[in-house]
Formats: sequence, structure tokens, C-alpha cells
Amino acid sequence: MQIQIGIILVVMIAAYVLAKAKKLSVEISMLAAAVAGGVAGVFVQTPPAGQLARHLIEGSFTYLDVILVFSTATIFMAIVNESGGVNYVVRVTIKYFYNLRIIALLLLMFIILIPGALTGAGSVSLLVVGAPTALALGYLGIPNRKVAAILFIVAGLSAAAPPVNIWAMITCAGTAIPYVGFELPLAIPVLILGIFTMLTLGWKRESRMDKQAVLQEMPEVPAKMSWWRVLLPFLVFFGLVIAYRIWPFDVPILGLPLQFVAAALVAWLLSPKKINILKLSSDTMRRLLPLLATMVVVGMLQQIMTITGVRGMLSYAVISTPLILLFISLAIVIPVSEGVLTYGAAAILGIPLIWFLDSIGLHATVALSGLSLLWPLGDGLPPTALIGRLSVMVSDYKGSYWSFLKSTWLPWIVITVVGILMVVFSAKLDFLVRWSM
Amino acid sequence: MPRIQLIKILLLAVVVAAMINGGMELYKHRHYQLPIVAGPGVTKVSKLSEYCEGIKGTMADTNVFFLEGREPGGKMLIMANTHSNEPAALLATLIFMENAVVEKGTLILIPMFNHSGSRNTRPGDGYPLYFEIPTDWGSKKFRMGNRDASWLDQWPDPDVYVHYPDRQLLSFIDTRNTNRTWPGRPGGPLMERVTYAAMQIIREEKVDIVIDVHGAETMFPVTNCIVAPEKSMRIATMTTLTVKAREKFDNHVEPSPSGFRGLSHREIGDFSDAMPFLLEAPIPFLDQPTGPKTVELLLDGKDPFLLSLSKKGLLFVPYDETGWPIEKRVGQHCSVIQELMRQFTRKFPEKTIAVQNVPKYADVVKNGVGYYYHNPDETDKKSVYFN
Repeated sequence: MQIQIGIILVVMIAAYVLAKAKKLSVEISMLAAAVAGGVAGVFVQTPPAGQLARHLIEGSFTYLDVILVFSTATIFMAIVNESGGVNYVVRVTIKYFYNLRIIALLLLMFIILIPGALTGAGSVSLLVVGAPTALALGYLGIPNRKVAAILFIVAGLSAAAPPVNIWAMITCAGTAIPYVGFELPLAIPVLILGIFTMLTLGWKRESRMDKQAVLQEMPEVPAKMSWWRVLLPFLVFFGLVIAYRIWPFDVPILGLPLQFVAAALVAWLLSPKKINILKLSSDTMRRLLPLLATMVVVGMLQQIMTITGVRGMLSYAVISTPLILLFISLAIVIPVSEGVLTYGAAAILGIPLIWFLDSIGLHATVALSGLSLLWPLGDGLPPTALIGRLSVMVSDYKGSYWSFLKSTWLPWIVITVVGILMVVFSAKLDFLVRWSM
Repeated sequence: MPRIQLIKILLLAVVVAAMINGGMELYKHRHYQLPIVAGPGVTKVSKLSEYCEGIKGTMADTNVFFLEGREPGGKMLIMANTHSNEPAALLATLIFMENAVVEKGTLILIPMFNHSGSRNTRPGDGYPLYFEIPTDWGSKKFRMGNRDASWLDQWPDPDVYVHYPDRQLLSFIDTRNTNRTWPGRPGGPLMERVTYAAMQIIREEKVDIVIDVHGAETMFPVTNCIVAPEKSMRIATMTTLTVKAREKFDNHVEPSPSGFRGLSHREIGDFSDAMPFLLEAPIPFLDQPTGPKTVELLLDGKDPFLLSLSKKGLLFVPYDETGWPIEKRVGQHCSVIQELMRQFTRKFPEKTIAVQNVPKYADVVKNGVGYYYHNPDETDKKSVYFN
């Protein structure tokens, strides 16, 4: 069986490489890999021929919820942007904090951290507050490449931050470990690493302009734009999110997509200038299409990898690695699994890994918190590179993707070391869990 | 027509054809009706919605079978398909349904507790849609379901699930997981209404023992065991010792954690007078490091990767070339349930539950699971129900 699965894996890789060689997009190349893997599997009845179409179609729905969140959140932010709200926020930030650099950087860090911490999705941070913070960071004299790097790392940390950490929640759901006691094991490293990232990437002012010149250079905002017009849509969104936390048994479950739609409608109604919402939505969806296609295709790929046994073989390879090598390989394996499977990585690798680490006397909650710091790094890696691509998109960085990714090297390494050390010394760090409860 | 347009049209046609083909398969799966034969012991059939109006007319509603004895005694509720991707639970419960004759006390059976989950699939995980159990009269075809209820029946998910009433934060997926939504509430999300309805059965019918039947991965420490809270611990311990001594299979006891909310073995005990037990039998199919997710793996539990991991000491159950066949898993459930009855009766003789004609572990392993199922086509139609 191992040989059979190995051949299917080789076929999938070959199809991907061939498609890329033909200069096809990442999404089409992944689709080629999924279809080729499925067809190769049919020869050994995994899946049976009559079931291949069903597996591909079913797999394409794996991330439907994420797709809906991305779509509605991006339309919401597009409306805020079009109304002049983003420019207004940036102008005010520069006006008051231009010369108080450290405060400005920390303030912007918290602005990025909050939406992701509340929803468990770094993408939501970028989609909601990414554009204005990117502009603000740019005017603080940070080059676009480093702005994208800051957004990527801090948005990733926001997804790991408590109270909602989806990797930990998925792993807890599958391992029957309660999702409690994660507050300090997640919050402390996230804050330290967030501050480290902001200071290492953002401390140096690489270009300096006079404050008045900056304000003059900034795009004009509509005359009628005001704080309440900018804040109210965000208050509606966060109000709906927080209302469910405070009154979970009285407030109906709306779900993130509808919450973003509600906020978008408020932003549209409050806009000081007329916005053609249909055209704006249509343009936004067109811009978002490659990202959505990636999510659809990753689901298909995941399903084909499972039915053919490729996924299980990769999971087996990780679990059966000798302990020391396993700890070291986490630096590669965890981010790469996220790059291929996004949140699915928590189920495929996280669950068996946590069972294994727990069985050798490590502390599951702290170890899982450590792994949670590594997973978001994979959101910058292909084939999905979800957060990385969004960071580049909202920061308007025009250079190559790899040059952006290279600029994240220092926080990347520090986060990796901290995450692995948390896993290795999880038993000694269990006081963090006790203090959280 | 330019060549590129032609290619695009052809590709579109292929995609549409695949969507129709794949979509039809999924549609048929959701609407496939499983015939269930009510055996000689069944005295009454009810609906879960009779205990909670909020699930009436939804896919969450399901059959509840009563097997009342000739003499009064204790009452036991058995629930299967809380997680519809753990089929040994359903198969064991149907053996009780089709064969059990209750002499004292009452058995209440809910074979498809998360009915919506049983009509759901698991995108990304490549499950088969059906599996078949061979019988003397052909094979009996079952739907393979999912751990969680379908989005088609309960949507949207919140960004995080806040458990009622403890406010513990759980994964958003668990909003649709009927082993996280206990004790439920009548006006909550659909799956909270399902667990609330079961709580109402337990309270209104004055049920003494509740058994929630499951399957768990071989790499999961809480497998091949009975999970029990403090009040059920003694009976659970006596049961595991007895089946090991008499029937020669291993089964241990795991304490129900008091800090992990929403689980049947915790909340039923805390919110009613009943003693809850959750049974776990190993199901290699659900382990992550396995080969292809085929029907064969689901039923015989043989996998080379698990075998290798077993040799490295990474599994929590004994595992060899014979795998974990479905007969062993179903047989274990049958024996453990009957032993729980016996131990309960020993402790509370005034609440005796006496059931005859249900096979034990050795019988099921020897005869196969299908041996105990009756042909619905040759059964009086009044005794055939669909789930």
C-alpha cells in the first residue's frame, strides 16, 4: 500500500510542477494536482471511478465558511475605503502620533491584533483594519515591504491570540481536551512577539518627511467625513461579535458573514459620498477571486489526498519521526502543513501530535499553544499563502512575493524558536495554564 | 471561435457535468432511507420532537423506540449515532432493537440521535457515502454520516460556541456536535434542542441509566473504555473487570472531566438523576495516519501505518495484522451494555432491567453483525421504520 500511495503522491507533484512549468496559476496547478491524484487513485479504487466527481465537488465545499467570511469582510472594507474612511483614520493617526513613534507602533499593533483575536482569523484583521494600518505604517517612514511583513506577522499572531484560537479549538475538539486555560500561554508570547516584531521591523524610520508635508501628500477625505461615520460600522461589527459573547443565550447566532454584511450596510448608508454598491461589490469579488479559488481548490486537494491515503502517509511520517528530530522538524512541518491545508492542518497533524506529546508527559495545553504560534507562519507559504497574499494586497506592495517573505526572517525565526521551546518545556510551563483558570 | 474560448467552454462543460454527477450522489445520500426493523420487544415508537416542539419538522427529528418489559423495573436509554461517523454504535443498537425481549424494566433506544449528522458528509475527509453489512439474506446498506450536524439544517455557526449554561468557549464546529451541546435548551440552536429533547426523555420517563455509544481513534487515550462521572464510576469499574474476566476483552474506565462541559457523560449526570456512561470502541478509520479512507478500512480496521505505529508503542489499544474488525467493536458494545445492566440490577434490585435474546461479544465475533438483522422486505411493514 505504501508504494501505491507513494506513486499517487509523485503523480500529484508531477502534475503541479508541469502545470507551473506551463505558467498556469497556483490555483489551476493545484487543481491539476488534485485531479491527477484522483485519477491515479481510481486505478487502485481509491476512490472508485464513479466517486471521483463526488469527492472533487464535496472537497470544494471544505472552506465554504471561510470563503463567505472573506467575501463579506472584503466588501465591507471596500465600502469603508471608498467612502474615505480609511484615509480619514490614517490622517488622524499621523496628525496625533507622528512624533510619538513607539506609541504609534504599539497602538497600530493592538488595532491589528484585536479583530483576529476575537474571530480567530488573521485574515479578518487584515480585511478589516489592514488597509488603514498599512497606510499609517507607510507614513511613519516604513517601506512597503516591511509594512507587508509587519501585517503578516502581527495578523498571524492575532489569529493565535486568545480568546479564539481556531487551531487550538479544532485540536481540542478532536482530542477531547477542554479549550480552557489557554489565555496566558497564548497571550504572553503573542504580546511579546508582537512588540518584538513591531520594534524590529518598524523602529527604523527609513524615510522622513515633515509632518505637514505628509498631511498634504495624503489623499483628501470627503468634507463630511467624521469619526462617527468611520467608527459606527466597526462598532456595529464588533458590537454584534461582543454581544454574542456577553449574552450568548439571548442574542441570535448571526455568523461572521452576516455581521460583516450588517456593518457594510451601515458603512454604505453613512458614506458622505455616493457609492455604487453593486459595482464596488462586483469589482471586489473579482479582485478576491484568486484567493477564493485557492480555498476551493485546497479543499479538493485535501479530500483527494485523504481518499488516496497521501494525507495519512504524510501524517504517519511526522508521527513516527524520532523525538528530537520531531521537535526540530516542527519548524518546517507545522508551517508547511498550514500552507497546504490551512486550518485542516490542526486536524491532520495537530490531533495525533498532541496525543503523542501528551502520552510522553508533555503538557497538552502549553504544547498546543506553542504549536499555535507556528501555524500562522504557514499562512505565508504557498500553495495557499492566505495571510501573506492578503498582507501584500492591503499594503499595496508591488515587489516580488519572495522579497516580502524574506523580510519577515527575524520575527519568523524568533517565533519559531519560542513556539518549539514552549512545546519542549511545556511541562515546566504548566503554571501558565493554572494561572489562567 | 478562438481556441482559448473553445477550451474554456469545454472545461466549463466538464465542470458542470462533474457538479451534476457529484451533486446527485450527495443528494441521494442525504435522502437515502435506512429501513429499521422493530423487533419483538418494541412496544412503542415515538419521535424525539414529542419531547421538544422545536425539532418538529426538521431533519433533527428522529425515531425513539420503547421496549417495555412485562414487569416494571429500571429504565435504560441507549443512544447511537451521536457521532454518525462511528457506525459500531448504530450497528450494536440495531442488534438490541431487532432482537431484545425485555422481561423487566424498559429499554429506550434512539439509533440515530444526531439524525442530521447521519445525513451529512465530511468535506475534506473523503469518507465513503455508504457501507454494507453482509447478512444471510443479502447485505444491509447504511449511510456513513458525519460527526456534526449538517449546515443545511443548522446554519450559520457562531465564530465561537459558548456552551449553555456554563459559558465555556468551545470550537465553533461544536455548535453542531451533539456531544458538546448537553444539556441543551428548548430555544437554542437545533442541536441544543436535540440534546434538550433527550434530557426531557430522561427526566419525564425517569430514566435510571443513559448509555451514549461511540467509537474513538486508536491513537486517542480515551478509547476502548467506559467514560463515567463520579456517580457512575463503581458500576463502570465492575463492568470492565467483569467483561475482562468473563469475556476476555480489555476495556477500562476513564473519569469524566468536570471541567470539560457539554459532554453527555458529564451533563446528563449533573442535570438529572440518571447515571450516564459513554462507551468507546476503537475505530481505526478515524485515525489520521492511515491509508485510503475506504469501506474496507471502516469495517475491518486493518491499516499498515497503524500497524507500524503500534509496533512503536504509539497506539492506546492492542493492534495486530487482524486490525479491529467491526464484529469485535459491535460485540464489545453489546457485552458492555448488558454488563452495565447486570451491575446496575445487582446494585439496585428494585430497579431490575432484564433483557433476553441479545448476543454477547463472542456470539457477534463468531456469527458476524449481519446475522442479527432481519430482512425488512420479509417483515410485516408495520414493523419497519425508516431513519
